[in-house]
Amino acid sequence: MGRIAGWLIGTALAAAPTLSMAQELTVWDWKSGDPAAANYFAAVKTAFEAAHPGVTVNFVMQPHDQYYTLLGTALGSSSGPDVMLLHGGSQATSRAEALRPLNDMAEGFAGVADFTAGDKTIALPLTIQGFVVYYNKALYEAAGLDPSKPPQTWDELKAVCDAFKAQGTVPCFAMGNKEGFGGDFFLSSLAADLFTPEEQAQMATGDLPWTSPHMRTIAETWVQTSQDGWYPEGANATAKFMDEYEMFMRGEAANTIGLLSDVAHWKQFEEFLGPENVGVYVHPAPGTSDLRLPVSGGIGYAVNASSANADLAADLVKTLSAPEQAAIFAVDTGALPASTAVDTSALSSPTLGTILGLMNGPTSPLAHAVMAPTVMEEWHRQSQLLVSGETTVDDALARMEEIRLQAKSN
Amino acid sequence: MARRTIGQAERRFAALVLLPAALLLLVFRIVPLLWGFALSFTNANGLGSADWVGLANYQAVVADEAFQDALVNTVLVLSTLPVWIMLPMLLALLIHQGVPGGRIFRAVYFLPAVLSSVIVGSIFNVVLRFDGSLNAALKAVGLHPVDWLGNGWTALLSLVTVYLWSTFGMSVLIFMAGLSTINQEMLEAAKLDGARFWARLRFIVIPTLRPIIEFVAVVTTIGLLTGMFGLIYVLTAGGPGTATTLPEFLIWLEQGKLNRPGYAAAISAVLFVLMAGVAWAQVRIMSRNADL
Repeated sequence: MGRIAGWLIGTALAAAPTLSMAQELTVWDWKSGDPAAANYFAAVKTAFEAAHPGVTVNFVMQPHDQYYTLLGTALGSSSGPDVMLLHGGSQATSRAEALRPLNDMAEGFAGVADFTAGDKTIALPLTIQGFVVYYNKALYEAAGLDPSKPPQTWDELKAVCDAFKAQGTVPCFAMGNKEGFGGDFFLSSLAADLFTPEEQAQMATGDLPWTSPHMRTIAETWVQTSQDGWYPEGANATAKFMDEYEMFMRGEAANTIGLLSDVAHWKQFEEFLGPENVGVYVHPAPGTSDLRLPVSGGIGYAVNASSANADLAADLVKTLSAPEQAAIFAVDTGALPASTAVDTSALSSPTLGTILGLMNGPTSPLAHAVMAPTVMEEWHRQSQLLVSGETTVDDALARMEEIRLQAKSN
Repeated sequence: MARRTIGQAERRFAALVLLPAALLLLVFRIVPLLWGFALSFTNANGLGSADWVGLANYQAVVADEAFQDALVNTVLVLSTLPVWIMLPMLLALLIHQGVPGGRIFRAVYFLPAVLSSVIVGSIFNVVLRFDGSLNAALKAVGLHPVDWLGNGWTALLSLVTVYLWSTFGMSVLIFMAGLSTINQEMLEAAKLDGARFWARLRFIVIPTLRPIIEFVAVVTTIGLLTGMFGLIYVLTAGGPGTATTLPEFLIWLEQGKLNRPGYAAAISAVLFVLMAGVAWAQVRIMSRNADL
């Protein structure tokens, strides 16, 4: 009995240092339950836990549509995760106060500007995000259009949509604006071509008036394209994710403004329509022949400044964004990696080849992503009212300018 | 002296029995309520320290067009209250009168009440979307389709109708329970005296059902003010514009999506005062009627 007691005490004493050293890092995201990303998360967990004995990494997937509500509540009550996935732009920068600086780790990444507040880098980007127009080559051919020559100017795009309208079988664009995302994507697509560098800088600081000529052009074009029947009826009751894209993948719309990240992108569309039927081009804008790809930092990992293990969590972010792991994410999901050290040769498709070519051309930041949250929410509302004809461009822009000034003064 | 001692002991026992409930009420209701009120006087953004801003949030709420729209929407929704009372009462009456298949109707009416609002929303999303089954039916009979959820003129009405469909079965059951308490002899006597259906309804049934009507009115009002979030979330996301935004949805939007818990707390406080006013008025009316 005495020997057993001694053995138990000895075991307990031996285990005590291990137990006291055991640490757990919690990561919040909206991706870790996605089968396409399973290899990436497994690789991160394996690599990090092997390099940090006694540390366990727990990925907790939250619903995407409630992610920032849950995150805000958790951060506000100091019970947030150690590491969190964030979208680039205002969703990240508006939370800068709660995030640990990662400036010393930001070398070798594209899109860091979208995760920088002032001079503080608040997250390391995992992917690049941007908008291109994907089109269905079979539908182009059926409408008498040359599928090898996508529109390069506004007049050519109008001619394409006129052809689909004349044919009357499918709408020119799939469109979902139930949450106002359709308005966001349209605004960023046109702003990339229209805005001067000065206007882009003003947009980033919230100083660009909504009554400026280019903003007016965007709002008027949004209304005009709706009235010209470019979109299917019921856009305000259609969710962009994924009703709009499912419509495109079913071959029920000729074009859609899609993403470069891991959803609603070339890989997903090619799986449904076949690689030979998917084409891609940069959205033209009226009044300019400039074509600039709207592109920014996509999603990235940040560290909770109030985490008890903030330095360890920063190490985890390094692993989450490391070229080896980011390459797995890129190959499995089709997302374009932010790390410039990632080898993308394993990704091959004609559409992706075109996209990579476009990325080497002129680019411009995503205009909507840098809007203050209140301004973005109001644009969601006004873009819906413009589509349904319940407001005028003048009234909508006046309201947007009012909200911009309010956000600026806060 | 002995009676006084027993009284004190009883009071102590009563206090002891009430203590757990009172503590729960204090911790989970009163303290959060006070904390919420305190938050409404700050510029809390849910991230760092919050500064005292006095009445600034309340001034902003009063000037906020989205909040004004949400209040107008609330008034519009509450204006449908007579329908919420009359429809279930009439259906309950019909079932009570013994229409053929009454039991089946009772079950069918009640079935939606057990479905969650998310499921109901998903079902009606398929029905009401522009290429949905309702518009397909309209087109089949030569009528123009309607953008039920995407147009400000029809979206709120559609939402209220779906909520009515999903919850009125409970009111039907409550009215049926009330109808079973009516003195059948009185109804028979009235019938023998030549009172027609509407006369019997007006002079016997409705007066007898008055407490039930009041109860349904109170429960429905609370449900309309606090129970539509799920449907709004699934069907319209508050749009188009603010056409289907009710205060509770706006609170959720401001607190989480727009990262302004201090401002959201101010909206909550205003909504609390409004709801307390409505509840007080209803209780007053019920008390007055009870005294008659």
